Amino acid sequence: MMRLAGKLLVSAYALAIYGFIFLPVVVLVLFSFQATSFPIPPFTGPSLRWYETVLADTRLTSALFNSVLVALLSSALAVALGFLAAWGFARHHLPRSGLLRGLITLPLTVSYLIIGMGMLILFNAAGIPRSLVAAGIGHVVINLPLCFAIIYSQMGDHQVNIERAARDLGAPEWKVLFLVSVPVLWPAIFASFFLSMTFSWDEFVISFLLTRFDTTLPVEIWNLLRSGLNPRTNAIGSLVFGVSIVFALLLELAFLRRSRR
Amino acid sequence: MNESPPGRLLPWALVTPALLWTLVFFVLPFIAMAALSFLEHGGGQATFDNYRQFLDNPSYWRAMVNSLEVTLTVTAISVLLAYPFAWILAEVVPQRLQRLALVLAILPFWTSYVVRSYSWLLVLAQNGVVNRALVGSGLVDAPLQLANTRAATIIGFVHFFVMLLTLTIFANLKQLSPSYRRAAADLGAGPLRTFLHVILPLTLPGIMVGAFLTFVLAIGDYITPQILGGNNELLMPQLIMMQIGRRGDFPLASALAIILMLVVTLAYLLCARWLKIERA
Amino acid sequence: MKSILKQHSRASAIATAALAIFVASPALSQDLNALIWCDHADPALLQPFEEANGVKVNVKEFEGTGAGLALVEQSQPGDWDVMVIDSIDVSRGVEKGLFEPLPEDQLPFADLFPEVKMDSSTVVDGKRYGITEKFGYNTIGFNNTKVDVADMQSMASLTDPKYKGRIAIYDYYLPVIGMAAMSLGKKTADLTDADLPAISDVLMKMKANAKLVGEVTASQTALATGEVDILVGGGEWVTAGLAKENPALDFSIPKEGAVLWSQALAMFKDSKNKDLALKFIQYILSPEGQARLATSSCYWGMPANSKAALTDEQKKTLRFDEQPAFLARAQAYPAPSAELDKKMQDIWTGMLQAQ
Repeated sequence: MMRLAGKLLVSAYALAIYGFIFLPVVVLVLFSFQATSFPIPPFTGPSLRWYETVLADTRLTSALFNSVLVALLSSALAVALGFLAAWGFARHHLPRSGLLRGLITLPLTVSYLIIGMGMLILFNAAGIPRSLVAAGIGHVVINLPLCFAIIYSQMGDHQVNIERAARDLGAPEWKVLFLVSVPVLWPAIFASFFLSMTFSWDEFVISFLLTRFDTTLPVEIWNLLRSGLNPRTNAIGSLVFGVSIVFALLLELAFLRRSRR
Repeated sequence: MNESPPGRLLPWALVTPALLWTLVFFVLPFIAMAALSFLEHGGGQATFDNYRQFLDNPSYWRAMVNSLEVTLTVTAISVLLAYPFAWILAEVVPQRLQRLALVLAILPFWTSYVVRSYSWLLVLAQNGVVNRALVGSGLVDAPLQLANTRAATIIGFVHFFVMLLTLTIFANLKQLSPSYRRAAADLGAGPLRTFLHVILPLTLPGIMVGAFLTFVLAIGDYITPQILGGNNELLMPQLIMMQIGRRGDFPLASALAIILMLVVTLAYLLCARWLKIERA
Repeated sequence: MKSILKQHSRASAIATAALAIFVASPALSQDLNALIWCDHADPALLQPFEEANGVKVNVKEFEGTGAGLALVEQSQPGDWDVMVIDSIDVSRGVEKGLFEPLPEDQLPFADLFPEVKMDSSTVVDGKRYGITEKFGYNTIGFNNTKVDVADMQSMASLTDPKYKGRIAIYDYYLPVIGMAAMSLGKKTADLTDADLPAISDVLMKMKANAKLVGEVTASQTALATGEVDILVGGGEWVTAGLAKENPALDFSIPKEGAVLWSQALAMFKDSKNKDLALKFIQYILSPEGQARLATSSCYWGMPANSKAALTDEQKKTLRFDEQPAFLARAQAYPAPSAELDKKMQDIWTGMLQAQ
């Protein structure tokens, strides 16, 4: 009896949390099919008119393209820098290593708003104009510490032996790096790249402060929001959600297949 | 160690790019911002005025009090909600379904962050689904004011951080070896005592990392309170953005940002012993 | 073969686009760079101009003159071609040496509503630097099925406990401070430090009645969805665009009067595209451009050009024919000095933080 009650309680709790987590998403997607101009009950759809409006809006579609580009390039750079640094710190004795590692991970403890403001002030002083590149640089700043921390934490000493074996067999250092260390650490590299992509894709305030005309999707959605409560926002939000999920699933499948092999 | 000179240079070649990047695009901007915070708006005179304003003007430090109240509430509620949920996912859900259950639990991560707050506005509106349901079921007579309140800001935050914390705590629970539990049971500990004396202490670092992350991300967030709070009160990021957006007053905004950062640093020092990044 | 070519060209197109973005290219000469308010970002307004002239209009949105001028100061000379600015603040830009005089003979000044030309601020030393393009009122917006319409003829109703919890305040300090000043019988043009305590009191009383203080979106939404019944600072810019969705939304010019907002276009002295900039201003001020601007998706407003090509229905929604009476009772935005501006901002912050 007690066990049954416990089971019920556990299920009810899990369902309640799932409900809480999904409530806004369901409402978002449902009212993206609203036929009238306000995304609040009663539901008047289904209609695809807001999707048509969104897809016809070149500002939104080019912002989407910009977001993908910034996410890909900034994440690639963040992972590359983070990996090299992690390898350097894990495999070599460097003076003041703890301090330097602390420096690289420092941005993790600072709000994006402050990072963005600081960059804006510095770039202004240096006469560097606002641009997508500036925002991309900012995204590397926030993701580099993350990539470094993830990869560094996975660099166990047991991998040293494989690397040493490769060196003993006469492999030059760059070969050890690319043919031994990278494959061994692939899961960590992959995870940090994926996480960086997610953060960059979703980042708002740095892009908001550092871009001028060409901007990223979250900023464009913010602009859209300022023009009223509108099913257009629901439509673009649902599209982003759909695309991200498909992307995440594809990665998951690729990753699962790899890890099962 | 008998490495050749190029061998001694190699480690530096590996770590220098990351260090330089951090120095140029993080440390230097921070120094520029700190310097600017001691300048007058519009003129180049050195001044402490920007900091003095924060101390003198009650509506400014009220923003800090609001921020701390909201952020600490959010952190506490999120941990309390997420821990049992993560535990259910890790211990109750059958092994083969765990991955799916976890992915489902964090699926709404992938709605855009700006859109997530906006969706909560729809949900909590006067005529939104929650109020319709409450009124329709006869639980309340008139719609409750949910949107445009501090409660709405907190709900929006908690939604995000429950997902984040579920993820970190789940990972932490899965790392626990089942043998701990068996050992505790063998020694005669009941489930409650096992939890309190074995599982909880072992997962504490994970909770602290998650809680700290929640604190940092929430206290610096502009979007959630701006969309959901209805400007019935200001939090620090809103006050900072107001200085930039309304008057282009970067010196005052810088001073406020530095004060905010000091608070976060303080929080970091308080949790520092759980936050070390160590190698496996 | 064909498909390979096609694929190849698509790939190279993407690569070129990527390069174009990342090799921070200086703006192409046929780009017009405009600092604007959100109503100018509407594709329905920009596309006809872009297509007719084979150019691209790059826009950057901002709110408030202070922020706009700060953006300009942080840019390089020549980065911007045109700017939208409060008519009343055009002289501030001129003082900073930013703007180029406009050729009066090439713009339809004669067709503008005379009250919104704002010569006192748009003409400096005999030269005209700004042309008003759109205007309206910050007054009382409301839902006429939910309030006593007679009450909306007096600003005193805004602080009346009768409407407690049914009010939203538009989150922009200048017009609402102007309204508070007018409710006290003060002139918006003559405000000084000494007036602020009394104004702050009025704001606090409004706040006590208010459910929220919101930007354009939040306040519009709150009124349209029934979250609140009254919007302080609202006007046709809130109600007109939503008239189709909710015909009960309305605005009044109470007996104390209303604050007139008026936005102007100005051209930058350092613009590298002055011909195109002038063409753009001419387009916006043309009857067609005016109609599109007046009914922009972000917010509606009265066109400054009385010959704007609006439909009768649009004119009715905007209350086009009642304008002379409205204008007679309206006062301009407060235009404070930098010092007073800071103090106004501080009483506004105090109002936001009041519990």
